[in-house]
Amino acid sequence: MRVLVIDPDPARAALVAEGLSGVHPLEVRQAAVFDEAEAAAFSPDVVVVACDSPDRDVIESLREATVANPRPVVMFADRSEPGLAEEAVKAGVAAYVVDGLAPARVRPILEAAMTRFRLMQQLRQDLAKAKADLASRKTVDRAKGLLMKERGLDEDGAYKVLRKLAMDSGRPIGAVAADLLAFAGVLKGDRS
Amino acid sequence: MTDVRLGFIPLTDCAPLAVAQTLGLFAAEGIEVTLEREASWATIRDKVAVGALDGAHMLAPMALAASLGLGAEPSPLIAPLSLNLNGGGITVSRAVAEDLRRLGGDKADKAQALAGLVGERRAAGAPPLTFAVVFPYSIHNYLLRYWLADAGIDPDRDVRLVVTPPPRTAEQLRSGAIDGFCVGAPWNAIAVAEGAGEIVALTSDVWRAGPDKVLALGEGWAAANPEAVQALLRALLRAGDWADEPANRRELTAILARPEYVGAPASAIAHALSFGPQGIVFQRHAAGFPWRSHALWFLSQMLRWGQIGPGADLAAAAGRVYRPDLFRTAAAAVGAAAPQADLKVEGAHTEGWSLPGEPAPIPMPVDIFCDGRRFDPADALGYAAGFAITRTKVGA
Repeated sequence: MRVLVIDPDPARAALVAEGLSGVHPLEVRQAAVFDEAEAAAFSPDVVVVACDSPDRDVIESLREATVANPRPVVMFADRSEPGLAEEAVKAGVAAYVVDGLAPARVRPILEAAMTRFRLMQQLRQDLAKAKADLASRKTVDRAKGLLMKERGLDEDGAYKVLRKLAMDSGRPIGAVAADLLAFAGVLKGDRS
Repeated sequence: MTDVRLGFIPLTDCAPLAVAQTLGLFAAEGIEVTLEREASWATIRDKVAVGALDGAHMLAPMALAASLGLGAEPSPLIAPLSLNLNGGGITVSRAVAEDLRRLGGDKADKAQALAGLVGERRAAGAPPLTFAVVFPYSIHNYLLRYWLADAGIDPDRDVRLVVTPPPRTAEQLRSGAIDGFCVGAPWNAIAVAEGAGEIVALTSDVWRAGPDKVLALGEGWAAANPEAVQALLRALLRAGDWADEPANRRELTAILARPEYVGAPASAIAHALSFGPQGIVFQRHAAGFPWRSHALWFLSQMLRWGQIGPGADLAAAAGRVYRPDLFRTAAAAVGAAAPQADLKVEGAHTEGWSLPGEPAPIPMPVDIFCDGRRFDPADALGYAAGFAITRTKVGA
């Protein structure tokens, strides 16, 4: 079986392709953009496509059988049990199969792709959170330093001031610290 | 506060959503709206179908197709608001534009010159010209086909029609992968600005004051959240009014140009907003009203091109999806006039006219098709079968 993975995100596409190779004896190819001529030459049985790829609309148009396109594609999740389509869309992935392929053969492919999409999303979220945490910690450290210098507080006292500001305003301590630094900049005539 | 998740595609006619969000009009109506930018119409349709979105900026024919289960499992949607009239265009590559000038001169009907070029290429054994649209169920597909067929070009036999994502149209024109396209704003203006092509007709030249996008909502979600639906409509009616106001055009352009909305150069957006004799209309002239005759016209074109069979119950589909009743309630609440009728004959006015409205008559614009044909919503099948080039025969 031949599977074509269309995903503008190359790291995610590689992860999906790797995951799929374990599912079945099959040939997997990945591309950032759906190219009709390349696809016709490869002649995939299944196309797995990321929902954030604009190429979904291109593949969608191949559902209509025409002279140039005698083998219409269908969206796999259309015909499967309730819930699978919902799960796939929420995971950010869609699968199209050439009409006539048994759904039972496609389901494991779609599920493997969904797992990789979720994994990638989790990794990206973790990375973004780690970056945000780091940035927030640096901001808090700078705000503490400012309070220590301007108000003659020790580190613990400076942190308590920030924490009280955060609790009173119901905002994260990183945001309060950023505001404090910005205001200090304005008071000092800093243009930035 | 009710949370509402709406999807949109980065196009100029997402303006009512972008404006309502930016100016705080949703919040003023007590709803918290999250706007999610999506990359494809298929994803918009699927997310609304599974409830990952409550509604979206949507191609009007797509709302009908999704409800009828064309190209996907049936997913009942309602369209209580039209988002705009006009806005699209037909652009050809510079090479094709040169050929059209050679064959027709500058002032001739470009479609007739194109028919000459199609014949010339066939005689020379050259491959057929390829035109791109945004989606099979779109005003762009139907108006490109209308324009081609009016000049005697059979869109299924004499040219090749493909789907291309709008952000790639300019690049594909340059590479020769496509010879022309019909898409919404601002992509025609962008292709021209990048020197990739020339506009040969606007969709408003094919159907002056023709509809394009709607606000589509999941039928089940709308039934369960009637107050949120009305709040959304009130906010979007106010946003449409604001977007129509010439004094706000500069600010509107700046909002749309932002990366979280259209993310295109402000100059192209400004150009696209004022295309043609009418420009893009969001709310004035009852533009927001979900005319059931618009729905029936789209269905007539689905019939004409064989997307649905002659047995389909068109009036039932139009009545279930297009919801003028919901529009009227919202319009009364914001003091906007609403038409009294649900249907009108389309393409029947070569001059401005006055439409009976509640509480006051509504001044209406010119509304004509390029071939002068009128669409009587009571006979969509006869209309579809009445064209020289059609896949529908009455009695078939």
